[in-house]
Amino acid sequence: MDPNLARATVFINHLLANPALNNLNALQKEEQILQFLKTNAQSLVPTLSSPQFFPGKSWNEILQLLNTALMQETDKALGPQIEDLIRRKISFSFVAEIQPHRIPEEKCRDELLKFIQRLLQKPEARKALSSPLTAILGGFIGRYLKKCFDARKYVHFELTKVQRLRLEIENIEHLVHVTLLLRPSVQLFTVGRGGTGEGIESALVQAQFAQTVLHSMKGQLKILPPVLIRSGLFSNVSFQEDTQIDATARIAAIFSSRAKNYKPIARVDRGANTPDRSWFSITRRNYKYYGFDIKMLDEFYKIASESEW
Amino acid sequence: MNDAKHPDRVTGTRSSRGDVTSFLESLVIAAILFVLVQTFLEDFAVLSGWNVEIRNKILLAGFFFDLFFTIEFLTRLYYAIMVGKVGRYLSVERGWIDFLASVPLLMFNSGPLALTLLTGQGIAVGLGGILNLLKVIKAIRIARILRFLRIVKIFRRIKNVSSPMAQRHIASITAISVTVLVLSLLFFTVFSSSLQLDGLDTAFAEQQEAVADHLDENKDDPADFVFALETLRETCPSLLIVKYRGQALYSRYSDSYYQEFFAPGDYTYLRKDDLEFFFDQRPYVSQLSRESILFFVIVVLVVLAYLLIYSPHFALTISDPIHVMRRGLEETNYNLEVKIPQKYETDDVFQMASLYNEKYLPLKDRTQSKEGQSLIELDTADVSHLFPEEEES
Repeated sequence: MDPNLARATVFINHLLANPALNNLNALQKEEQILQFLKTNAQSLVPTLSSPQFFPGKSWNEILQLLNTALMQETDKALGPQIEDLIRRKISFSFVAEIQPHRIPEEKCRDELLKFIQRLLQKPEARKALSSPLTAILGGFIGRYLKKCFDARKYVHFELTKVQRLRLEIENIEHLVHVTLLLRPSVQLFTVGRGGTGEGIESALVQAQFAQTVLHSMKGQLKILPPVLIRSGLFSNVSFQEDTQIDATARIAAIFSSRAKNYKPIARVDRGANTPDRSWFSITRRNYKYYGFDIKMLDEFYKIASESEW
Repeated sequence: MNDAKHPDRVTGTRSSRGDVTSFLESLVIAAILFVLVQTFLEDFAVLSGWNVEIRNKILLAGFFFDLFFTIEFLTRLYYAIMVGKVGRYLSVERGWIDFLASVPLLMFNSGPLALTLLTGQGIAVGLGGILNLLKVIKAIRIARILRFLRIVKIFRRIKNVSSPMAQRHIASITAISVTVLVLSLLFFTVFSSSLQLDGLDTAFAEQQEAVADHLDENKDDPADFVFALETLRETCPSLLIVKYRGQALYSRYSDSYYQEFFAPGDYTYLRKDDLEFFFDQRPYVSQLSRESILFFVIVVLVVLAYLLIYSPHFALTISDPIHVMRRGLEETNYNLEVKIPQKYETDDVFQMASLYNEKYLPLKDRTQSKEGQSLIELDTADVSHLFPEEEES
């Protein structure tokens, strides 16, 4: 290994081990460190270009080394986690219900796994995958869907009557999880932002653009059902622009946004509302800005309030 | 040698000074807690008929506590004078409570009592009649009410709520309430004494004077005298000893009983020519102790009510919402809403919280979203250990 890269890896591993990053998943940690390096460049330059670290290297070269080391270390932790998620935790039995012809589940897994690995090669897509992954690992979808199915209100109606999903609640959860994993795919077709992936999460795309991407994606992903890919892609489109967006896509969009900057709180301050309740309340007021379905937000807000989440 | 070049030494000195201060503050808190127990026990011992030896020890403990708090007050006052902040200490830092709860007690209550115990002399004998004697006993006991002010002192040192503002408000309102209560009791007692109103003390005094007069009238006829004495033994349980020319003619109890159960103040002495009388004052002292315990319970309940009822209410309606809003304004990654209880939603604080929830937080969220930055958890301080010390300096 290049000694500079080895030194960069040591430095990155020190950063990754920082207690402030505990409870974050690998991609969240990566995001934090990238931002840390960017924010503190001025104070880090004198030290990192000193003889103890990377003598004679410019800041851009140092940053390149650190980014490479960071990606390698993140992938080491992320690879097995994603493989475990797709191969063992997500059930693809729902595919048979949303697809007229039968597709072996294993083939779906293989294709999705390859696709995610492809996503991870592009910084924008990599960053865009962080929140969906946090949403899945945080167990948001199952928790809220269960309450929605108990209440049998708007979300239940949208999923079962409008989208016509004849699935068990667990299978709908898996369907939304796959939708979440496909959500960053739109980033494969966007112009890079200098490799930083800034402003990815809040960026909505136009329905027309999503439709174009869908055509292209259908050519690339031949196993996964097009309705699933469509759901993943259109979760990036504003509900105000296209009111025909699948309920699963709308749910994925909301919880992907919820998971951004999500960090479990050990204890909520006395006098403050709970984290989910606060988030849904704030997001209800910004629903147009984020392109969310206000009725869904209202129902999730009510659930969060009643459940003290 | 320049101290700035030796931060360790400076820090070390400050640290050890801090440790000593912390130890002394803990000592004061412990003393306050103990003195409250002592105050209660002093009265409880009278009501329960504990023997003199134990009661004297409790009284002496009270003296040492008063001495300790007087030294504490004088020390604080000395330091306040040294730094030119006497006014601040006496007013803002409630030095006046330190004063009231120490010096007058030492001078007028535990000091004289301790002197009596240590010198073995009875108190206030022959100061002009039983009534005056009883008034002195009452005045000395009533001064003990000032000890209740020490409950207020404890607020300065114990952080019962997380918010300093809440701490200060609760401490202020408790200080005002307890002081008003204590000073009212004190003032009423002094005022009622000066009005020469008939009370329990007057009744006791009159009865004992009457007994003494009755025996004095019958002293010339031995048969009548013995009969009167026999009658009084049955009808006047407060008559303890009757002496004629120094010789005991009657004693209700044995000497050992008197030694074990009669402390100074538990009996009164009266002389009529050759006759000397000792009367049992314990029922009167018990009555004063009952009153004292009642005052103690009232003060403790008032303080507990502020602590357990008003303090959470203050936190709920004032300090907690302000704390949440402050964090939201100060910290980029703090986006929790203020919880607004429906019944207080028209309060100014909650109207402001409503604006914070409905206007500020959504705006903050959009601004952060526009900037596209994730909320950073790492700080350069978190990684300072990775860099050599020379670089840091």
